[in-house]
Amino acid sequence: MRTFGRKCRGNGNVYLKLVREAERRLLSIGSKVLPLALSAQMLLQKDTAIEEAQQERLMHKLDQALEAHRHIEKQSRQLIHGKKLSHCKIVNPYDLTIAPIKKGKSNCPTQFGKKPGIIAEMATGFIFGYHLPKGNPDDASYVMPLVSNVDAAIDLLDWKYPKRIPRIRSLSGDLGMDDPNVREKLHQVGTATVGIPTSIEPIPKIPSPEMIEEVLHTPFLGEKQNPTQIKIAFACAYSRPFVESLISSLICRGATHIKYKGHRGAFIQIGMAIVAGNAATLVRIKQDRLSKRAQRFRRLFRLKPPNSNKNNTPKD
Amino acid sequence: MGKLRQLCHWVTGDGRSIDVSDFVPQTHPLRQWADVLPWPKFVEATEKSFAGRFPKQRSGGQEPLPIRVLLALELLKAELSCSDEQICSRLRTDFAVMYACGIGHVKADRSQAHFVLPESLCQFRGQIDETLMAQLVAIQASEAMDEGLVSPEHLMVDTFPSEQGSQRVTDATTLYKAKKKSSKPPNK
Repeated sequence: MRTFGRKCRGNGNVYLKLVREAERRLLSIGSKVLPLALSAQMLLQKDTAIEEAQQERLMHKLDQALEAHRHIEKQSRQLIHGKKLSHCKIVNPYDLTIAPIKKGKSNCPTQFGKKPGIIAEMATGFIFGYHLPKGNPDDASYVMPLVSNVDAAIDLLDWKYPKRIPRIRSLSGDLGMDDPNVREKLHQVGTATVGIPTSIEPIPKIPSPEMIEEVLHTPFLGEKQNPTQIKIAFACAYSRPFVESLISSLICRGATHIKYKGHRGAFIQIGMAIVAGNAATLVRIKQDRLSKRAQRFRRLFRLKPPNSNKNNTPKD
Repeated sequence: MGKLRQLCHWVTGDGRSIDVSDFVPQTHPLRQWADVLPWPKFVEATEKSFAGRFPKQRSGGQEPLPIRVLLALELLKAELSCSDEQICSRLRTDFAVMYACGIGHVKADRSQAHFVLPESLCQFRGQIDETLMAQLVAIQASEAMDEGLVSPEHLMVDTFPSEQGSQRVTDATTLYKAKKKSSKPPNK
């Protein structure tokens, strides 16, 4: 029965009727075997007289019998009636012949779209730069080009001493950006990477003293960081899911539905959406129409005076 | 495609002159949106980029449409989710859009159907490249940092998928297809 289903099809003769008959017979036998095997397994577990090795061997045999029936049953659902499925047809996920639904045109049946990357501020979601590579590279490859975009913006600043030129202190990302090479490059420029997770475990909102010590003892990075900044970096990393609302605002401005032609067109359309979105963000900042979360972060970033009596008033 | 020249019709109209900034209220969302953008720096960067890539062959002739207007229209398309035709049509009648495009005075002229043709906007877009676009985002970011509105100290990085949408079917395509269909002999 291992050649059941698909393998009987092909360029040669298709013995579909024969397969169907065999399938029906085996399924009717298997339907009786199933409850018997299960009850036998239960009895075997309760029986203490049988030796452990023998018990294990019998259990294995019963498992095999059950598995064989499940396999035949699954294949009986997968067997299609000797016809090729055309594209754009919704199929049963158990079918072996599954084709993606294509929505392209005759000259380009499958369009894969683009995957832009953005780098944004944690408090308000102001986007500092974006990167649109050709193809579909891994997420970690986006980090350094995006960081260089921010550096380009900082280079445009005409600040003089004693005003300190800003620099990137920490970077948050998702698990896809967890790459040792990227981390090393960021550490060399003094950027903390506590916001890029190494596992699926959530990042703590408040770091333990050991965590802070670990960051401070990281080569290259420790000299350029201080405990307060590390605490802020952890708070930012904890708050990273905020990026979803930021992407939603870009979706509203048509950044995810590219109408312009080619890579250049996509770059322009996304860029225009980002500039327009940033302008709306700046209006909100100027009018102080920000969420509590954003206001808290702006205080942490020292963009807002910390002594606001309004927020210190206890709620009724 | 030849160079498309278009007059600045809001200047050349015969009607009464209207002060656009007096007409649009201070609290209008589009006015506030337009006021936070660093337009002089945007225009300067665009002019510099165009001058390097498309040097002027001859001096003289009719003045082209201002880059400020075309760039604002392109940004307003994203902000208001409009097509080329829709935003050009709004520019003709919507004073807030005129303000956002930097048009200070407009001469009311009922006979004039448009201020900027969609074709002119399309032609302008064709001249923008990736470097210029990245530069515009960097200019905006540096201006915001300079004003103390944002800080680059703690940032986040993420990616998102964007699908390739289909091109809109134009009137010309529809007309071409209709002609082709009508010229075919009916099947018997």
